[in-house]
Amino acid sequence: MISLSHVTKLYGSVIGVNDVTVELGAGAYGLLGPNGAGKTTFLGLVTGQLRPSIGQVRVFGERPFFNARVLRRIGYCPASDLTERSATPREWVRYLVQLSGFTPAAARRLAEETLEQVGLGEAAGRPLSTLSKGMRQRAKLAGAMAHDPDLLVLDEPFDGLDPVARHELVTLVRTWARSRSLLIASHLLHEVEALQAGLAVILGGRLVASGSVHEISQLVDTLPSEVRVVSTAPRRLAELACRCPEAEGVRFVGADAFIVDTRAPRLLADWVVEAANAEGILIRELVPGDRSLEGIFGRLVQVHRGVAP
Amino acid sequence: MTGQTPPPARAPDQLPSLPALAPLPALAPLPALASIVAVARFQINRLLTPPRLALAAIGAAFPTAVLLAATKARGSALDTDLGAILLYALVPEAVCMLGLLVTICPVVADELERGTWVHIAVRPGGRRALLLGTWLAAVLWTGAVALFALLLALSVGVIENGLILLGPFSLLVCLSCIGRAALFSLPAVIIPKRALVASVGVALVVEYLAGLIPAVVNQLTVSLRLRTLLVRFMDWRQNMPIELQLLVDDRPPWAQVAAVLILTVVFLAVAVAIVEWRQFPPSEES
Repeated sequence: MISLSHVTKLYGSVIGVNDVTVELGAGAYGLLGPNGAGKTTFLGLVTGQLRPSIGQVRVFGERPFFNARVLRRIGYCPASDLTERSATPREWVRYLVQLSGFTPAAARRLAEETLEQVGLGEAAGRPLSTLSKGMRQRAKLAGAMAHDPDLLVLDEPFDGLDPVARHELVTLVRTWARSRSLLIASHLLHEVEALQAGLAVILGGRLVASGSVHEISQLVDTLPSEVRVVSTAPRRLAELACRCPEAEGVRFVGADAFIVDTRAPRLLADWVVEAANAEGILIRELVPGDRSLEGIFGRLVQVHRGVAP
Repeated sequence: MTGQTPPPARAPDQLPSLPALAPLPALAPLPALASIVAVARFQINRLLTPPRLALAAIGAAFPTAVLLAATKARGSALDTDLGAILLYALVPEAVCMLGLLVTICPVVADELERGTWVHIAVRPGGRRALLLGTWLAAVLWTGAVALFALLLALSVGVIENGLILLGPFSLLVCLSCIGRAALFSLPAVIIPKRALVASVGVALVVEYLAGLIPAVVNQLTVSLRLRTLLVRFMDWRQNMPIELQLLVDDRPPWAQVAAVLILTVVFLAVAVAIVEWRQFPPSEES
């Protein structure tokens, strides 16, 4: 469905994305990365707003830039706020559907149906300027979905939403993506996790990891991590920790704390606890590397930036 | 793992399908034209705000006010020739120029500012429809204001036999709007964020400076065609000094109309090509 082959996008001397090669088949995918990582540029390339400086982008087997056949099959909800002042959501969505080539009558019908779906039925006649950001987000989403695209591309679609609205829209997008493809960019892992989507992690314009949540967890298991221990007998405990086959190095960080470098923080933590029990050493604090998705993401960021070993 | 293919989180065909949706309606018979009309309607709706309507009313009343002031200063009604000169300067030139500057110049900049550009740019033919639809809206809006201004100016009776000017001047207004809206669409797509300033520059340099140079370059201006048509309609040519005759074209009126239409097509084609090919980095959006 989406194929990027050694794609680099430059804005003058600034790199948007850097030598990205990826193949995404039909399905749901999350594009993860911190702000400024290149997510929007990636989506801009996929949705035909931008041409690659180097490399080739294919969507549905064709170049998306200036290609009506491809664009007709894509729905895009950008991250930027909709500051259109005078139009109502009904007028706005109808307008976008007409721009997709539908007759005014068909556009009216599709707009009404989609606005109901996103929960904007009652507010559809109010000017966009009077709506909350959450409601404008829904209007944007409706505009992206109303022409029934095969691929829905969402850039930070849940920003500015309260938890209830977020849950509603996550459910809506998840339901929608059951029968069609979805590419969603976010810097919040739990959003993508909730959509049960495959992951692609982008950092500094580079695609640093891709796969399912499980695959990325496995990848991170091979990355260096650390366990921090605070104890009443740090030197003795550090000596015991060094005997663990998973330990790769130890360094002291203060009078009563040390850090063990490892690629298996949980195993090492178990080893340290057992060793401390056997020797009667009191552990005041033991913090293994964060293995939650947030932790994984943070770890990948650190590795990419060269902060982590 | 860079470059690997992530497997889909779940196979779409193994999941329950969505509730049955109504079949998707067919596309419009002429989708490109339908999109242009949709943009034009949307843009005109944007113009129908109290401040814009007030501005249009001032623009429509301005020529009449000037003509009334001229009549008062003169102490009698304006003769047809003098009235035609004043009316030409006020309506097809001033009112049309100003109206077009505020309607066509923001065609891209306004969308970038409102955060709507990207929504339109990802539609099939959306960029082209935006430009041509906005051009159409600018022509209709400015044309309507200018024609109203013309009617108002002629109906107050400050020009002797003024009503004979209605037909020819209506044509001049239409041609001025059509041609100059296309001309101003070029700076609007080349330098969107400075389009207004650039268009004023284009108006002064191209339309008024180059248009008054008796050389090949003035053949590419709308002002030469409008001036020539005015001279033809008023039958002034034979009485004009030879040096002024250099400022008008010899070809018949239909050729002037055709020239404006050709210039319009060329300007719009170039503007469409630019807007289709143009890329705006995410940082430039909103």
